Amino acid sequence: MGNTETPMLELVDVHKSFGDVDVLKGISASISKGELLTFVGPSGCGKTTLLRIIGGFTPITSGKIILDGEDIADLPPNMRDTKMVFQSYALFPHMNVRKNIGFGLKLKKMPQKKIDDRVDELLALVHLEGLGDRTIERISGGQQQRVALARSLALEPKVLLLDEPLSNLDANLRVVMRDEIRNIQERIRITTIFVTHDQYEAMSISDRLLVLNDGIIQQIGSPSDIYETPDNRFIAEFVGYVNFLEGKIESFDQDSSGLFLVSTEYGDISLNKINEKNFDKGDDVFLVIRPETVTLFPSDAEDMPNMLKGKIQHSMYAGNLVKYTIKCGDREILIDQYNPKDSIKFRCGDNIKFTVPRTVHAIPKRG
Amino acid sequence: MAEAVAGNDQRSLLYKIRIFVNSHLINMFAGGLFALLAIFLAFPIVMVFIKSLWGDDGFTLGFYQEFFSYNFYYWSFLNTMILGLSAMVILVVVGFCFAYMTTKGPNWLRKPLKVCALMPLCAPPYIFSISLITLFGRNGMVTNFFDLNFNIYSWTGVIVAQCLAFLPLSYMMIENVLNSQNPSLEESASDMGASEFTIMRAITIPLAAPGVLKAALLVFVMTIAEFGNPAILGGRIPFLAPDTYLMITGEGDFNMASVLSVVLMVPCLIIFVIHNYMLKGKGYTTIVGKPTAVDPKDMTPLIKYSLLAIVIPVAIMVLLSFAVIVMGAFVKIVGVDNTFVIDHMLNMQSNTAIFNSVKLSLLAGLFGAIVGTLLAYVIMRGKFKGRKVMEMMALSGFALPGTVIGVGYIMAFNRPPFLLAGTIWILILNCAFRFLAVGVEAGISKLHQISIEIEEASADLGADFITIFFKVILPIMFSAFIAGFIYTFMTTMMSLSSVIFLVTPGFDLAAVYIYLTAQLGELGLASAATVKMMLIVVICFASLKLLAKKTGLDVIEK
Ligand SMILES: Nc1ncnc2c1ncn2[C@@H]1O[C@H](COP(=O)(O)OP(=O)(O)O)[C@@H](O)[C@H]1O
Ligand SMILES: [Mg+2]
Repeated sequence: MGNTETPMLELVDVHKSFGDVDVLKGISASISKGELLTFVGPSGCGKTTLLRIIGGFTPITSGKIILDGEDIADLPPNMRDTKMVFQSYALFPHMNVRKNIGFGLKLKKMPQKKIDDRVDELLALVHLEGLGDRTIERISGGQQQRVALARSLALEPKVLLLDEPLSNLDANLRVVMRDEIRNIQERIRITTIFVTHDQYEAMSISDRLLVLNDGIIQQIGSPSDIYETPDNRFIAEFVGYVNFLEGKIESFDQDSSGLFLVSTEYGDISLNKINEKNFDKGDDVFLVIRPETVTLFPSDAEDMPNMLKGKIQHSMYAGNLVKYTIKCGDREILIDQYNPKDSIKFRCGDNIKFTVPRTVHAIPKRG
Repeated sequence: MAEAVAGNDQRSLLYKIRIFVNSHLINMFAGGLFALLAIFLAFPIVMVFIKSLWGDDGFTLGFYQEFFSYNFYYWSFLNTMILGLSAMVILVVVGFCFAYMTTKGPNWLRKPLKVCALMPLCAPPYIFSISLITLFGRNGMVTNFFDLNFNIYSWTGVIVAQCLAFLPLSYMMIENVLNSQNPSLEESASDMGASEFTIMRAITIPLAAPGVLKAALLVFVMTIAEFGNPAILGGRIPFLAPDTYLMITGEGDFNMASVLSVVLMVPCLIIFVIHNYMLKGKGYTTIVGKPTAVDPKDMTPLIKYSLLAIVIPVAIMVLLSFAVIVMGAFVKIVGVDNTFVIDHMLNMQSNTAIFNSVKLSLLAGLFGAIVGTLLAYVIMRGKFKGRKVMEMMALSGFALPGTVIGVGYIMAFNRPPFLLAGTIWILILNCAFRFLAVGVEAGISKLHQISIEIEEASADLGADFITIFFKVILPIMFSAFIAGFIYTFMTTMMSLSSVIFLVTPGFDLAAVYIYLTAQLGELGLASAATVKMMLIVVICFASLKLLAKKTGLDVIEK
């Protein structure tokens, strides 16, 4: 065994096909105890399917689901130690809040007194004190969400599964509930898988993200890994706006300074050591340039390394930043300049210079 | 890593069995239900087919040959078809007129006409035989009053009785179609200068056509399958349903009875298939978004009076029929000796029959509702192949003529391993399975409203199939369960065609009692029993309406 800590949940080469459509094509990943991992990816990429396979609602085509050391792939949902919060909440309409939360405990034949105590504890945890006797129709959407969460937590599952839990809430409530879910999760340190198609939601709630597309894992990593050092174009674009600059590795100096020189159509760019990728001299690469990493200078500024020339084509003032569209050669580059109050303001048609930081990330052109 | 995983092969046998049971419980239930459907619906029908082809010397087509070579037999078939077609044509026209008047006619007429059109629902179809005999029989009120020489035991009698009996079916379906037409279509046609007659001809009728066709087919099936009216009023005219009965009670010829049954069943099954598969989803949806309420317009006088000329006499006939039945229950002999008597109502034999019927209906209703609810659940939520077949089997009881199932039951259950003949069980099972369709459909439509995630959540929280069914599904589906119960109760109360084959002497049922007394001309006794039966049925309807109001689940409209 490589690492000392056994993962709470391990997916081993999970495949799933519906008929002859392969939805999941070999997913392997592991989640450690107490971690919040988010499955994120565009709609239809198989997030729900993967979550339902873990919960036992969708049979697996092949592969293993190892929960705390035991392969549970062939167990029905009622024999798995995972609990799911459904997108529709799936609260029982004929029971009140308390009965809903206590449902699983009652099935376990826990004495009523203990159920009552546990339900009280959970009501407090999700801030629903005093609403226990309400019927489900008589509480709001956000409160229903909390009941669903409490109901799943009641049984102290090994892994909590949440499928787009915020999608039925309106925008403001979504942020509140997001923070609250994270808060509760950190407090009771429950291993959690969260599914969303919203990359900002994913980045702000997770310990790690699992980016899914085309039925395969595109990348697993912390939010900053994913945003700052994406493995490929898909991920780079999925988590935020990005300018790609095509280039070729000219010099390859791996020992002392660790600098690389990448030549582009618009000028040479030197970068710090290029990650762990096995680049070679002559490789074609894309430079991943996030709009907020670029610095703008007037056209008469002194030349500096990594400085390119361009012309302001369009600008949009948004209070905390100005969004500039720069014409550079025959292509457009988007630049965000924060704190406009203390920066030089450029107008349309102004010739400018801009610098790309040495920390810029490069990805191979192929793949 | 691999060595840390408890291999699935090392799990104990008990644990493996537990996994299997938990994962397949719903399928096991499905298997059980499938077996029930196979034994109590398919098996009797198969028996009928076999008996029609299997004589003392093995396989033979001889019985069919016999059928087609004797006047008496094939006329029985032709007459039945003629009866079905005539009733169908008449009822489409009359049903349309009623539906048009109650949806577009003058406001003050709508309610009373609707009541008249629906009234026959709360009485068994054969009530009209009794009322027609009371009115037009040899000693009938009308016959005597006008001194007519009129024979009600004739084609006219049978057709009129059938049309009155199945008016609600035709009316409800056509009214439903007209109600779902977008009034703006007619308004815009009228805006472009079309007269009411043109609108009716160019818009209303063509748009209603697919729905009306469905109604027509159902009327056809119901009228050819009906036993009571042709049996009581048919006199010497051969019809399939009563002939099947005579073939068994009179001649004890099960082979020929089976042939007649097959011949009756084939058109019914064809129409069932057309209805369920070819016409499914056919029909025009003209309302997009919210229907707009429109003020009733005045009808063109010519149209109004032509429709009224059809509608009013029919409405009067319906009212008159009910009136003479109620009267018949309380006077000595209607039209002959109108002195008040209570004897008919107090008749012991009749009360015992009613009591037996209630008992049977309660049991059949309960059994049918349980099986129906379970079936709906398994059909909707099971993950096995053959759910469609199961649904079709469950619904087919509705399409199969009662006489055919009755014949099938006596042949299928009169010997081990299913020796049920002579017990109340054969009656309970017969009624429960014949009328399963409504409970199943109500259950299915209720389940459509329940998100499947509710059940998944229950399983997730540790519930197995049985717990989910009783703790979560049944409470939510309770209204469908009750609807299935009341419907089965009600139809079992009135049903005659199947049970008449299965009752044993000494165990009278209300429907059979009414039929036999009507046959014997004991109209007072027949009327009195009918009145009591109607009271019970009306209570059932009221409960169903209340249920619909409370839960939005309307089985009557179907
Ligand atoms: N029961 C099913 N039968 C057939 N195809 C399905 C089924 N469930 C999901 N799919 C397909 O699998 C793909 C992934 O679906 P899903 O997991 O729901 O995506 P996501 O949750 O990422 O939006 C989709 O293309 C969907 O159409
Ligand atoms: Mg999804």
